[in-house]
Amino acid sequence: MIISQLGYYSLIFGLLTSIFIFFNSSIQLKKNNSVISNKTTGLIGFQFFFVFVSFISLIYSFIISDFSNETVFNNSHTTKPLFYKITGTWGNHEGSLLLWLLVLTGVLLGFIFKSRNEPNNYRLLTTLLHQIIVIGFFVFVLKTSNPFNEIFPVQTEGLGLNPILQDPALGIHPPILYLGYVGTSIIFSAALASMVSNYVNKNWAKNIKFWILFSWIFLTGGILLGSIWAYYELGWGGFWFWDPVENVSLMPWLSLTALLHCVVTLEKRELFKKWTIVLCIITFALSMVGTFLVRSGILNSVHTFANDPSRGIYILTFLLVLVLLSFVIFIIYENKNFTQKSEIFTLSKETAVLINNWFILYFLSVVLIGTIYPIFLDVILDEQISVGPPFYNKLILPFLIPFVLFMSIGPSMKWIKTNFRIGVKSFLVIISTLILSFITVYYIGEKNIFVLLLFIGFFYLLLKSLSQFRDKTKNFAQIFSHTGFSLLLISILLNSFSSKEIVKNIQVGESFILKNEKIIFKKITVEKEKNYETIIGFFEILDEKNKIINLQPEIRIYNEPEMATSEASIKTSLFKDRFITINIIKDQNFFNVRYQHKPFMIWIWISTLIIMLGGSFAIFRKSKEVNI
Amino acid sequence: MFMKSKRLLIIKILIIFILISFNFKNVAVSSDFSEQQTINITKNLRCLICQGQTIHESNSDFAESMKKYIKSELENGKTNEEIFSSLVKKYGQWIMYDPGISRNTLLLWTLPLLLFLIGGVIIAKKIFRKI
Repeated sequence: MIISQLGYYSLIFGLLTSIFIFFNSSIQLKKNNSVISNKTTGLIGFQFFFVFVSFISLIYSFIISDFSNETVFNNSHTTKPLFYKITGTWGNHEGSLLLWLLVLTGVLLGFIFKSRNEPNNYRLLTTLLHQIIVIGFFVFVLKTSNPFNEIFPVQTEGLGLNPILQDPALGIHPPILYLGYVGTSIIFSAALASMVSNYVNKNWAKNIKFWILFSWIFLTGGILLGSIWAYYELGWGGFWFWDPVENVSLMPWLSLTALLHCVVTLEKRELFKKWTIVLCIITFALSMVGTFLVRSGILNSVHTFANDPSRGIYILTFLLVLVLLSFVIFIIYENKNFTQKSEIFTLSKETAVLINNWFILYFLSVVLIGTIYPIFLDVILDEQISVGPPFYNKLILPFLIPFVLFMSIGPSMKWIKTNFRIGVKSFLVIISTLILSFITVYYIGEKNIFVLLLFIGFFYLLLKSLSQFRDKTKNFAQIFSHTGFSLLLISILLNSFSSKEIVKNIQVGESFILKNEKIIFKKITVEKEKNYETIIGFFEILDEKNKIINLQPEIRIYNEPEMATSEASIKTSLFKDRFITINIIKDQNFFNVRYQHKPFMIWIWISTLIIMLGGSFAIFRKSKEVNI
Repeated sequence: MFMKSKRLLIIKILIIFILISFNFKNVAVSSDFSEQQTINITKNLRCLICQGQTIHESNSDFAESMKKYIKSELENGKTNEEIFSSLVKKYGQWIMYDPGISRNTLLLWTLPLLLFLIGGVIIAKKIFRKI
């Protein structure tokens, strides 16, 4: 009770501090001090501290199950394990916005520490602009989404957390995702500040690169965790569905990827100044669009949005204000501070980056339009359509082939001018690519020219990236992330073509066959856990070598809220996952059993980790001269 | 001279490979044809009572009865298109995950492609600009 109050007042103090920082930094800017005062740094520290206290208070309220707090009451229950009491803190609207605010103030504090050697007015301006976002979100949280609302009379038991959210991967998914997602805010503030203070140059690029990589790595990790969760928890073995909630995290990721390549060009060649700034703005705007789409409830239906429009309208207005602000700043300083070198683009790395951005922005536009078009159609014409995987496959897959080809040769280009020739090495790479692709296509039995071309493109990227390990000047960051990306594409393609599945309704003791495997339903047991009862099915798989594999899928019936979930049982091996789920059929002794072979699943996760590893290399690399 | 002949060789090999692959044939397995066809169809249909799942993936009563219905329609000799269009008539375009091309979705398909073309023109101008 007291703690909940503490959290609330801490938020108000946080807001007051922000307003104070805003005015304080504008006064300092006028004075033109050469050093940023300790007072400002201290205030930013305090601001973070206040949000932190508030966040901890909410976690504490969840741990002790303080049901005088409305958020806790709505999303927790005394019988929940401690871990899920804690993760329940951000598994709801109010708590997740508090996490937003925590990351938002945290990255500013990090920025102030990291930028000690940079011009003072640039740092002050970044602080000032960032405060606009911070204040906006403070007001949003306090006005429409206060996590510390009290309810009276105090309830003795909470409503519980949605069981499908009670999962370790999903527990840590929001904090990781938000570090990346909200991390883009500092890129936005710093980009605008650098423009106003005439600091868009090599130094700035070198420094802002850290924050771009930071956001990019965490966003990749967040998306990975979300996919892993979807894979084993949603019970049908899919990991990506082009669902709007997923798209919303993919859009800033695409934009960050384009930005990452752009900023390196700015760092090395002082090119693409305006474009880099525009990408910084777009990236954060996409984060805001995502927050709007998810938090307003408009994704479920435009009608849910109409029921409680205050939240959605606030974010939308705020987004428009920020976009307008950046637009005005951009127009004013566009020609004032930019002396754009006029460049001749030849066969060079610069051109490669241009093409990279061209394709990535196209993919981005497909995802963006695919996500928001149905909403507009519904609002304007009252017509409902679904935009699902077929749309994305048709518009993205054909473009992936030229994209990966450019991606393969781009890194071996030189800055300014490249003399391109096909040596023995590239000849070998091409031959091995063709052989590998043909074997693969033959092996999976998908004899189709388009699939073949996809494999040729993906394998070429893989082999080309791997062959770079033998180059004299190596860039491990680039090699690892490109290798990871090609492995990811290959694994996804193989997975989608050679997944096998069988669905049967059977009783205990019966068996069925998939390919060369026999699946035997041994027995069923019922057990009682702390907050759910579980029905466990025991299955034995006899594989082609007569080896026995045990799988134990479950059906869990949670008590609060009362809901049944199906827990998959998965046996992972290097080349395929064996995936089984069971479901009860009403009023019968039969169980609905779904057994699947999901090839190369583990490689989808591993290759994403390799991509992240590549990003980490770029962060920890000493700032010596290396090519991207 | 040497380089040139090597490049030619690569192109020749490429062409041969592509020609070979054109001769690949798609042979449908006839035995569990309607089973497989049902999966192909239901993968493209939204389970109307679920949260973002296809009928294929869902175990809900609605999805199960739809699967049975589609299988029986296939065995009655209906084509995929006939089944899709009858479902759209009954449940609306909402049930199809493929939005298809119609008056309502024309912009949906063309807008990204248009943006790609515009991007291409901008880049081409940059590359081929003379000073």
